[in-house]
Amino acid sequence: MWIDLAITMVKILFILTITVGFFAPVLTWVERKQSAIMQDRIGANRADILGFTALGLFHIIADALKMFTKEDFIPQGANRALHTLSPIIALVPAIVTFAVVPFGGQYMLWGKEVSLVISDLDVGILFVFAISSIATYGYVVAGWSSNNNWSLLGAMRTASQMISYEVAMGLTIIGVLMVYGSMQLTEIGAAQETGYWGFILQPVGFVMFFTAAIAENKRVPFDAPEAESELVAGYFTEYSGLKFGMFFMAEFIEMVTIGAIMTILFFGAWHIPFLPTATLLSMFDFLGDDFSNLVVMLIHVGVFFGKVTFFIFVQMIIRWTLPRFRYDQIMKLGWKVLLPLSLLNIVGTGIVILLF
Amino acid sequence: MAYYVDRNVKMTWWERSYIPEILRGMMITSRHFFKNLFGFVPFFLGKKKDREIFTVYYPEETMQFPIAYRGRPVLALGENNLPNCVACGLCEIACPAYCIDIIPGENSGKQNEVERYPVKFSIDYAVCIFCGFCEEACPEEAIFMSDQYDITMLDRKKMKYEMEQLLVPVADLKDRMDFCRKMYGKWNY
Repeated sequence: MWIDLAITMVKILFILTITVGFFAPVLTWVERKQSAIMQDRIGANRADILGFTALGLFHIIADALKMFTKEDFIPQGANRALHTLSPIIALVPAIVTFAVVPFGGQYMLWGKEVSLVISDLDVGILFVFAISSIATYGYVVAGWSSNNNWSLLGAMRTASQMISYEVAMGLTIIGVLMVYGSMQLTEIGAAQETGYWGFILQPVGFVMFFTAAIAENKRVPFDAPEAESELVAGYFTEYSGLKFGMFFMAEFIEMVTIGAIMTILFFGAWHIPFLPTATLLSMFDFLGDDFSNLVVMLIHVGVFFGKVTFFIFVQMIIRWTLPRFRYDQIMKLGWKVLLPLSLLNIVGTGIVILLF
Repeated sequence: MAYYVDRNVKMTWWERSYIPEILRGMMITSRHFFKNLFGFVPFFLGKKKDREIFTVYYPEETMQFPIAYRGRPVLALGENNLPNCVACGLCEIACPAYCIDIIPGENSGKQNEVERYPVKFSIDYAVCIFCGFCEEACPEEAIFMSDQYDITMLDRKKMKYEMEQLLVPVADLKDRMDFCRKMYGKWNY
């Protein structure tokens, strides 16, 4: 019993380290540096320790220091309690989502079966959607409690955009659920070990889910809620210091979440193509039973986060390629294109499953 | 002629279906990304030319300016270790900002010696507008625009350079001298 608890704690710590401790800060650097290189610029490289710049990686430390030491400003007339609460509501769901995200399969380690998921819920994917829609409250409350017109406009746009895209997002993955016959993320992942990967079986669903997920995260082609050039900074105009940092971090962690969900549903989860776990285990047979399991586990975790990194990279490329959609275009795309197409996708998938 | 943007471009259904055009745009940006990435990393190993990035790391790297660039004006120090300047005051008069200040002095008038020389010659760079009129006015090839532009001081008074700070050996000004001869035709009687 204590062993189980310890294992769970280790898994939680691992997830926290890799999202809050690694991905979120590194992505702030990646976003600047990658956009710079993409646009034929140089990008962040001035922060140095003893004349050593490490490609500008020390900007992460500089940013963190800046956010910790900045004045935490609450504007006059703002609702102090909600103004403080909303960044927490925005950030926590982004991290909590990882509770059901499997980053590896099951492995026998020293007589103990270790499943690399913190909580293996039957309704995993529903849990992800339920939790991630709570984040909407954070953004809306942030906009409202700031007592600022730009913030309120941003919050209203957030509310409408997230609600419309949640419908499309929920419907696009139904095709995947029909194909794999499960809502459990671990089962969907395990089904792709030998079967086809999701993006081959559900190409339309893949593209539409990606679109809807980026819209949910309010990143650039769909960044009408923050829209620097129209609304100053949208819902977090009045935030500074660590609270702003929390919104910032929520966006980057959500990027990782999207990458993880995409990987599990459409991109073969932790599996390497044409290399089932049994074959991989037999390759490391000479290490003994326990150590071969450990090596395979590490390989699978590495492969999983490699795929997540790939999807984050694609999101970054999209962010620096496309201009912002107009607000009515966002709504039109959500309701008139994605929703009917996802319904058609469900019907098509059903017919194919019925016939074959 | 005014340029009108045609806002009613008829797109084909291929273009209107978003996805292929988005992919095309992503191809362009990733091409730039990888091209620069592989030109960018060797930059730290000392190779500079391979990258497509035009940004200059300013204090460490400086730009090579064309010879026509007008930086701060300097005085030419002749081969006999005396300034070429004869303190005629033409640059002082030509200067639209009145930043040049000359106090002339008189020599003994012996052979092989110019009769007038500047006792004091100062240019206040806080006032100078880098127009280059002094260079154009000078009949003795004594004042030239250099390629230095970063004159920054914490004290405004230090921006006023005296003659010792202004003098530059004439050998260093060869290119600019040739350029001036060509441009202003000073000695093409």
